[in-house]
Formats: sequence, structure tokens, C-alpha cells
Amino acid sequence: MDKPLYKGEEIKKLLNQRAPILMVDTLYEVSDNGATTGLTIEADNFFNLDGQFTEPGLIEHMAQSASAFVGYNAIKSNSSAAPVGYIGEIKNFKLAGRLPKAGDKLLTTVTVQSVVMNITLFTAETKTGDTTVASCQMKLSV
Amino acid sequence: MEKQELINQVNEVLAEEFEVETSDIAPDAVIKETLQLDSLSLVDLVALIESTFSVKIQNSELSSIKTFADLYEFIYARIAK
Repeated sequence: MDKPLYKGEEIKKLLNQRAPILMVDTLYEVSDNGATTGLTIEADNFFNLDGQFTEPGLIEHMAQSASAFVGYNAIKSNSSAAPVGYIGEIKNFKLAGRLPKAGDKLLTTVTVQSVVMNITLFTAETKTGDTTVASCQMKLSV
Repeated sequence: MEKQELINQVNEVLAEEFEVETSDIAPDAVIKETLQLDSLSLVDLVALIESTFSVKIQNSELSSIKTFADLYEFIYARIAK
């Protein structure tokens, strides 16, 4: 994968969330209809339970991945700040296997399926390495 | 694709997605009422039509699609092109 577009502290330009619930640390790629993001799960991650990253954390990570895509496009359109978005709906969430654990690196691809008015339907797929961890559909209102 | 074949297919995919009976779907019925669409589920309708028929509905075109007959005509016209 090429050099990240945003990582570390820079990611805060794209997202309104802050520690301890900032769940994206890298934006790798952006295309016309989606983006690829990442998160390294630290041992003290807010969503860890007994060393495992839990489902709410995965969903938050996926939602913030979609927000990072929206934020990136806003910044590219000369907006001074990332817009505030709201999750309208999450459905078809599937946990494909085991939950990730501290130290794992999540790689998530979000893809725009449809845009109606100010609501965008995304699909999201999260992997660790080549293994799919989870997927879902979500609607984001901006 | 014949028009009646398209109508049957549209009705089947809508009935499955929005959990209604195909018998509930009449050409003159209002889509939003029959399928109980809100602003969120309207996005599902647009995505479903695009994924099933490869027909994209633009925001500006949505307001002209009120009944199922409107939707059939919209899809058929674009498939026929």
C-alpha cells in the first residue's frame, strides 16, 4: 500500500472524534466512491474487553472510516473543518470470525453504494491481514 | 426484457426487501405509503434498483417517481436505451 494520506495526529483534521473514542488512525487511500482506513488496536483501547476489541468498537471504527472519507472530501473541497455526520442506520453487521485483539491492525474499506439527498449508504469491510473480521452496511447523514 | 417481466421482477425484489406481499403492490399505489418508506429506507430503494437493474436514480429524478407505475416506466425507459 502506498504512503498514507493522513495518519497519527493529522487524522484529526478529517474526524471530529477525539480520544478515547477516536477509532481511525490512518487514511490510506481515497477513490471517487470509497476509502481505505486503518487502526492499530492499542492495549488500552476504550473498546477493549479482556484484551479483545469488541463489536461496538468495530462498528465505531467502520463508522469513523466512512466519516474519514466524508471529511477528506470536505477538506479537498476547501471546507475549513470536517462536517459533523450522524449514523442513520447500521444493518447486516456480520462478525466473520474471532474478535481482533490488542496489537492487531485493522484495515477497513468503505464503499459508497448510493447517495440520496444528504444520506449516504456505505458498505464496510474490516480485515486483519487477509482475514475478514466484520462487515456491515451503514447510512450516514451529513 | 418485456415490460411485464420487468414489472414482476421489480415487485418481487421490492416485496422481499421491504417485507410486503407482491399482491400489496399495485401500479397506482404510492410507493412511500405501500412500502412505508422514510428518508433512510428511501436510500435502500435507490440502492436496490441500482444493484438489481443497473439503473441509477438521481436525486432530481426522485420527486417524479411517486407510484409503482412511475417506477416501472422510469426503469423500463432506461433499460430500453
